[in-house]
Amino acid sequence: MGQLDQGPHREVVVANQLVDHSALKVNQTGIVTTVLIAFIGSAFYRPLLVLIPLLAIVLLLGTFAPQLALFKQFYFKVLKPRGIVKPRPVQDRPEPHNFAQGLGGVFLAVASVFLIPLPVVGLALSLLVAVLAFVNLAFGYCLGCQIYFQLGKAGLIKAS
Amino acid sequence: MNAQLWAVAVAGIVVLAAACLEIFRARRARLQSAGATAESASEPYILYFTGDGCTVCRTHQEPALAKLGDVRIDKVDAIADRALADRFHVYTLPTTVVLSPDGHALHVNYGYATAPKLERQLAEARGTLQTATA
Repeated sequence: MGQLDQGPHREVVVANQLVDHSALKVNQTGIVTTVLIAFIGSAFYRPLLVLIPLLAIVLLLGTFAPQLALFKQFYFKVLKPRGIVKPRPVQDRPEPHNFAQGLGGVFLAVASVFLIPLPVVGLALSLLVAVLAFVNLAFGYCLGCQIYFQLGKAGLIKAS
Repeated sequence: MNAQLWAVAVAGIVVLAAACLEIFRARRARLQSAGATAESASEPYILYFTGDGCTVCRTHQEPALAKLGDVRIDKVDAIADRALADRFHVYTLPTTVVLSPDGHALHVNYGYATAPKLERQLAEARGTLQTATA
């Protein structure tokens, strides 16, 4: 077995909170699904584009008030109690994930502004948010969390 | 439908550009950290840079490190120990560095490194040690 040696001069901060990663996965699935419905659906029925600004609102609201995070609440109130999705608590910090969600919300808000005058830009930005959510869902790579780490390293936010 | 196709093309170009940038960034960081040193030890060891906001570290990297044989792994908080992290140009988490006993960086892995990859790098480091002592 590899031994994790903290060493006498090392400072290792251990996250003592538990984050349910199933809630995060449900959230990412919700983002990917909503963007795809808006993206493909708008080719046939243009009003479906309204899903993009709605998703931006949901993500931004959920960032600042977790009780308003629609997809996570759907998981906690419906999927988890009925055993449809099993909980997966991991020792982690919620801040980087919230930051990533907020970043997604900001990108979708910007995309919403462009949807009418420059639909290609608006749709491309929405698609990028969906791609990043999918990468996080499938491979566990969270770009927003990496940006959070970089900002913490630069001393712009308190990351530890 | 035309707007959707153009949007796919634009998003594809952005993703491709980001992937190329990431490859370039990792190569540059690897070149810059070549020759960087940490403390010496009796055997090759691993520096494991992590942070308490790094999920992949806990879900992927730590289980991979636990699969390794009897090897010393120094777990370092990349933000708390910034000087050491900067020495190895740690720009992403997790980052693992395989060091020779004299503390020289032999391999720097930016991002998740699998157990077989780390084992191979450690075996190489031990091989270098045996060649040096022979």
